[in-house]
Amino acid sequence: MKRIAVRNLRLCTKDCLCLYVCPNGATDTENSIIDTGKCIGCGVCADACPSGAISMVPVEYPPQQKKEDEVVAAMNRVVESKAREEKIARTIAENTDKPGLRKLMKAIERSARLSAEDVIREAGFMLPQSGNSMNLLSNLVENSPGKGFPSDAASKLLSSLKCNDGGFIGASTGKRKYRCLLCQAVFEVEEGEEPVCPMCGAKGKDLEIIG
Amino acid sequence: MRYICQVCGYVYDEEAEGVLFSDLPQSWTCPMCKAPLSMFAPVETEEKATIQEEPVSFDGDMQKLSAGALAALFSNLARGSEKQYMEKEAGLFRKIADYFTLVSANENPDSSELLSISNGNIEKGYPDAKAVAAKHGDRGALRACTWGEKVERIVKAVVEKYLSEGEDFLADTEVWVCSICGFVYVGNEPPAICPVCKVPDWKFERIV
Repeated sequence: MKRIAVRNLRLCTKDCLCLYVCPNGATDTENSIIDTGKCIGCGVCADACPSGAISMVPVEYPPQQKKEDEVVAAMNRVVESKAREEKIARTIAENTDKPGLRKLMKAIERSARLSAEDVIREAGFMLPQSGNSMNLLSNLVENSPGKGFPSDAASKLLSSLKCNDGGFIGASTGKRKYRCLLCQAVFEVEEGEEPVCPMCGAKGKDLEIIG
Repeated sequence: MRYICQVCGYVYDEEAEGVLFSDLPQSWTCPMCKAPLSMFAPVETEEKATIQEEPVSFDGDMQKLSAGALAALFSNLARGSEKQYMEKEAGLFRKIADYFTLVSANENPDSSELLSISNGNIEKGYPDAKAVAAKHGDRGALRACTWGEKVERIVKAVVEKYLSEGEDFLADTEVWVCSICGFVYVGNEPPAICPVCKVPDWKFERIV
């Protein structure tokens, strides 16, 4: 399984053994964050670090635990209740001129969101790259939930995430929409085909996927 | 406006502090590294994630979950992306979460309504969900609901205390939220470890 090195800045004591052993200069960066583009995953830095500040984390993740329908339904009910709590707290915070109440309601708004996030994870939405998450994104792109929905963000996610459990069926339109960053032309290509701008011939990084 | 210390990166947020940067005394220094005022530079205004200017809507009949629940679902996936060092994906998920937060249905801004939901969750919501999780041997779901139920009890307790003591309760104190489980703590400093999920104090967020 491919792995990359990650430095825990709270543990790092800058003994710099990782700089000495890295064959690619990946650990020597101006912001102390290991350059994931340079890391080859060899793990020598993690072995050499005297503070135990580097761990090797996976790049690919296994499928999530399968969730029973009854569990999903029960978790969803809790999430709906926490969502209402969050909204009430937010509305009170926005409408009060009492500083104490505003602070308390902002705390409860935040708390309700955190609880809801934790519970929805256990309803089959733990990993962004799971079939569940990607099918939901795809569904929202195809059936927009309303005005202002950032469909471009969802489409970008669908093209950058790699499904880890084979559960993503994919968009059924069979076409992908691109915008050329050089000449601004917008065009479509069949899924699976390499996009090339019909106006100026730009490819690769000069194109942005928009749908 | 926000101003950043060019030595240590501390950010002074006018909105959060309630004092304009230009109104700070010349003797003011960076709370982190003691650099003088002159070392601060304005932060380029980031593009607002929300789309308040444009009309927004949500067709609830199309979705299994409400907009508020979808907001939590997508902000959770943003956090899931962050943990995997996928910053770009985290930003995109957050944009989707912000849309759903914006279009979530209006609720009555009434603290007694808040208490009644909280009571419902403690008496029925969480116990029912825990029973289902236990029946299926789903310890992850059981864990989330166990934490959630404890957090719900503290939410109920602080709301009740506010309703009986009013602003005095929060006059000279900070309010903290555990960024992992949502535990709410009223006090000048956060607890050394979270009483619910056991993370260390630096995982607490100070509410401003």
